[in-house]
Amino acid sequence: MHPEDPAEAVRESIAQILAGGLETDWRLRADDSERFHAVVKAIRASDGELTTKLRLAGFTDHPVPHDGFDQACESCMYFQVHRGWCVLPELDLPVRPEWSCNVWRV
Amino acid sequence: MANLLWLQGGACSGNTMSFLNAEEPSACDLVTDFGINILWHPSLGMELGDNLIQLLDDCVSGRTSLDILVFEGTIVNAPNGTGEWNRFAGRPMKDWVKDLSAAAGYVVAIGDCAAWGGIPATAPNPTDSEGLQYLKRRRGGFLGPSFSSKAGLPVINVPGCPAHPDWVTQILVAVATGRGDEITLDDLQRPKTFFTSFTQTGCTRNMHFAYKVSATEFGQRRGCLFYDLGCRGPMTHSPCNRILWNRQSSKTRAGMPCIGCTEPEFPFFDLAPGSVFKTQTVMGVPRDLPDGVEKNGYMKMTVAAKAASPAWAEEDIFVI
Repeated sequence: MHPEDPAEAVRESIAQILAGGLETDWRLRADDSERFHAVVKAIRASDGELTTKLRLAGFTDHPVPHDGFDQACESCMYFQVHRGWCVLPELDLPVRPEWSCNVWRV
Repeated sequence: MANLLWLQGGACSGNTMSFLNAEEPSACDLVTDFGINILWHPSLGMELGDNLIQLLDDCVSGRTSLDILVFEGTIVNAPNGTGEWNRFAGRPMKDWVKDLSAAAGYVVAIGDCAAWGGIPATAPNPTDSEGLQYLKRRRGGFLGPSFSSKAGLPVINVPGCPAHPDWVTQILVAVATGRGDEITLDDLQRPKTFFTSFTQTGCTRNMHFAYKVSATEFGQRRGCLFYDLGCRGPMTHSPCNRILWNRQSSKTRAGMPCIGCTEPEFPFFDLAPGSVFKTQTVMGVPRDLPDGVEKNGYMKMTVAAKAASPAWAEEDIFVI
C-alpha cells in the first residue's frame, strides 16, 4: 500500500486489475463524437465502481496505436501531467502516462 | 447630418437591444455628437401607418436623402418567394429593402441574420431566409453578388448574435462622418478592424490552450474550452476578448464557449443533437482545428505542450 499517496495506491490497484486480464472493449476506439458520448453516457449511467469504469472506457496498461498515433494517457487532453490524473468528469481517476482508453482525445 | 433608417426583417431584436446598450459611442452620442439623424427605427421611430409609408416612400424617391440603411434580421422570402410572411408598411419587407438599398448611400447589415441568414436560415430554413448579400458563406444573398450602394461599397456586414454594440455604433459613426472609404472589408465584407483577429486573441485562457489543459465543465476558471466544450475561439474572427462585453467580460472569460457567431456557418452543424457545446472529433482529434493548423502539426504540438506544461497550469490561478 501507499499510505503516503492514496492516488498512487489507486493507480497500483488499477495496474493490477489490468494486468489481471480485465476484459474490455479496448479495440472499440471512440473515433467520432457519437461513439465518444455513448461511452461517456454509459459510464455516467453505471454503478460507478472502479472496474466498471475501466471496462466501459476500455482501459489498457499500454498505449494503443491508432490512426498512425500512439494513443496514450500522456498525450490525452484529459490527462493532467503533474497530478497524474484523468480529469474527464465521468472517469476522474489517477492514471499513469503509458495507459490508454477508448475516449482518448487531443 | 446623415440620415439613418433602421429596419428589421426576420429578427429577434437582439441587435436592437445591443445597439441601445452601446457606450463608446452610445446611441444618443450618434445623434448629439456625430450628426446622425435617425429617420426611423423599430424601437425609436414615432411614425406609424401612412406617415411611415410616406417616410419610406420619400427615401425611395430621393425626396429624403437616405445616407445609411441599416438592416437587422433576415430577408424572408417565404412563401414561394413572395415575402408575404414578413409584411411591413403595406408590402413585403423584402420589396422595401430592394428599393431602399438602391437609394442608400451605405447599406449596413447588423447581426448574423442580416449578414448571412443566421439561425433562421438554418436547415430546413422554413422562412426561406437569406442575408442581404450572403446565404451562409455563399455570396449573393438577396441583393445579389454585384450589388454596391451609392457610395460604391457592398453591404457592410457587422455580424454577431448579437453584434457587439460598439462595433455597430463605431461603424455607423465612421460612415456618417465621411470616413466610409476608410473602412476596409475582409472577404466576407466584415470591417477588418474588428474581424481580423480571433475571439481567442486576448482570451484569459490562452495559457491553458498553449499547455493543453482542458476545462471540462461550464464556468470552470481553469482550462481551455476548445478541447472538450466546443469553443470556437481559435477559428472565429471577432474582437470579443479585446472589446469586452459590458466593458468587463466575454463568453470565454466567464467560462462559456465561443459559439462562433460572427462566422457565416453559425449555428454550426445545423444545431444537430450532440453538436452544441461539444467539441466534435474524428479519431480523437477536433474536427475543426485552430485556423491554419494542420492535423499532424496539431498532434505534434499537443505532445510537446503536454510534456512541457508546468504544474501551475493544472491549478486554478484566478484566486479571489
